[in-house]
Amino acid sequence: MAALSRKRLTDIHKHLINGRTAAFARLFHSTRLNQQNEHSEQQEGEFRVFEIEGLKPVKTERFARRQKKKPPPPRFRSMATDQDWTDVWPTASTFKWSAVPFPVRQGFVENSSENEGVVPAKYANLELMKPPNFLHLTPAHVKKHCDALKKFCTAWPEGLETEEDCRHHFPVESVTSDYVFAAPSLRDDRARVASIKLNLSDLELDYHSRDKFIRLVGDRYNPDTDEVIFESDRCPLKSQNLEYVNFLLTAVYFESWKREGWEDQKELSDMESYFWDINASRKNMVSLLRTIKEADEKSPEADKGLGYLPSDVANEDAICQLEEVQQYKVAVEELFNEGENIETLNNYKAAVTKLLNLKSDAAV
Amino acid sequence: MWNISQVLNRAAPLSSLNVAFRGLSTTACLAKNKKSGVPKVTRFRTKPLTYEEAIPPSEMNVRKGWLSWNTSNLHGEKRIAETTFEDLFIRKFVFGTWHNSLASEVVIKRRHNMITLVFLVNMDRMLARQVYFLQGYTEELLTHWLKGPVKVELQTVNSREDVIFKKI
Repeated sequence: MAALSRKRLTDIHKHLINGRTAAFARLFHSTRLNQQNEHSEQQEGEFRVFEIEGLKPVKTERFARRQKKKPPPPRFRSMATDQDWTDVWPTASTFKWSAVPFPVRQGFVENSSENEGVVPAKYANLELMKPPNFLHLTPAHVKKHCDALKKFCTAWPEGLETEEDCRHHFPVESVTSDYVFAAPSLRDDRARVASIKLNLSDLELDYHSRDKFIRLVGDRYNPDTDEVIFESDRCPLKSQNLEYVNFLLTAVYFESWKREGWEDQKELSDMESYFWDINASRKNMVSLLRTIKEADEKSPEADKGLGYLPSDVANEDAICQLEEVQQYKVAVEELFNEGENIETLNNYKAAVTKLLNLKSDAAV
Repeated sequence: MWNISQVLNRAAPLSSLNVAFRGLSTTACLAKNKKSGVPKVTRFRTKPLTYEEAIPPSEMNVRKGWLSWNTSNLHGEKRIAETTFEDLFIRKFVFGTWHNSLASEVVIKRRHNMITLVFLVNMDRMLARQVYFLQGYTEELLTHWLKGPVKVELQTVNSREDVIFKKI
């Protein structure tokens, strides 16, 4: 016992000559003592053990740092080459580098200082994630969509094979628009506009009602294509506007069949086009033919007279029903309504030659 | 450039009046070395940049794409101000929520009423469960505020080094 104590004392002495250790021991004197007290309660023996700091390597218990889980390898590494792509990428989604099995690069590299001169690959590439992709619309996807939708489809109705058939059976075409945009609301005030389109020839109209219809609708009628378009945006809802344009069509149709009293007061200057029957040309023509008939009777010459004229020229309507006169009427009306062109002028020339029985040498 | 000695036709005494007439050029500086969206080069080229930061705004839609994808950007469409303000709000919110772990800008894609947020998360200091929590948190709160479903399609990177494109 005494030998042990002596050994310890020599140890202490040995270390006390080192000033640094002494200072260190002093500094941590109190804590060391506390620890020793606790220690000595468990220890048997007379003296406490003085442990010098730094003499023995101190075992400190350290909690092992939790190992961070390594991220699993990307999915494309374990993909089979004959996999079903529609299962990998079922719906529209942002580009996922780990799920796309092909190598793809995106970006621009100016020189070797940028990304070591290599175009950025797909890993952590925001440029690939920005635009919408079509990886959810491959032919395999489309085929699956079609198969799923097939049970909701019905056969195309018979008799509507061509555009012309459709137009014939459904002459009124209504045009409305829906607007798709990115917003929390579905509503768009532009969607309220509704219009209907139809060919005027599909409506049952006589000359007067057709003329009145065109006058009533104004610039909604396009004479080049024979189309009438009614459009409305005055009501707040699409269905209301559609009902309104249908009402307009109905109202204008029945209104154009009506003949008001004041419509009979229409004068020559109110006419929409040239009508030979009510113009001075008809009176002049009749009087001219009568004069010629009179002259023919006085000096009958076989080939110079107008042989087609009836013996009695008193009836004006009978004269106007003659073929030569009718041809002249058509030629004059064409000349006024269509304007002067080679065709109308030639027709007019032919009609006059025939009407007045002019010989070809005299006509030239 | 003229001074008072020329005006008075004699040597002017040195005074504050004289100095005031020295005709200092006061035009605004051109500031050609300061441009919006173009970061300044450091002395030893140590500043790391992502691809998004490295490409100047003048190359927009040539070398890099938009960060906001919506129909309000199209001609004649509505909700321009609302969409822009919401995008700003979303970016601020995500920047604060994913503090210190956002490795990229936030791409905001809008399709119908759905808003999809796309960004990269740095897993350096994050646990997977933290990411899941913040993802749900972001989706839930933004959905509530913006009155439409918000979806976060984030992708992770292992460290910030992975997104460095160049150093200036």
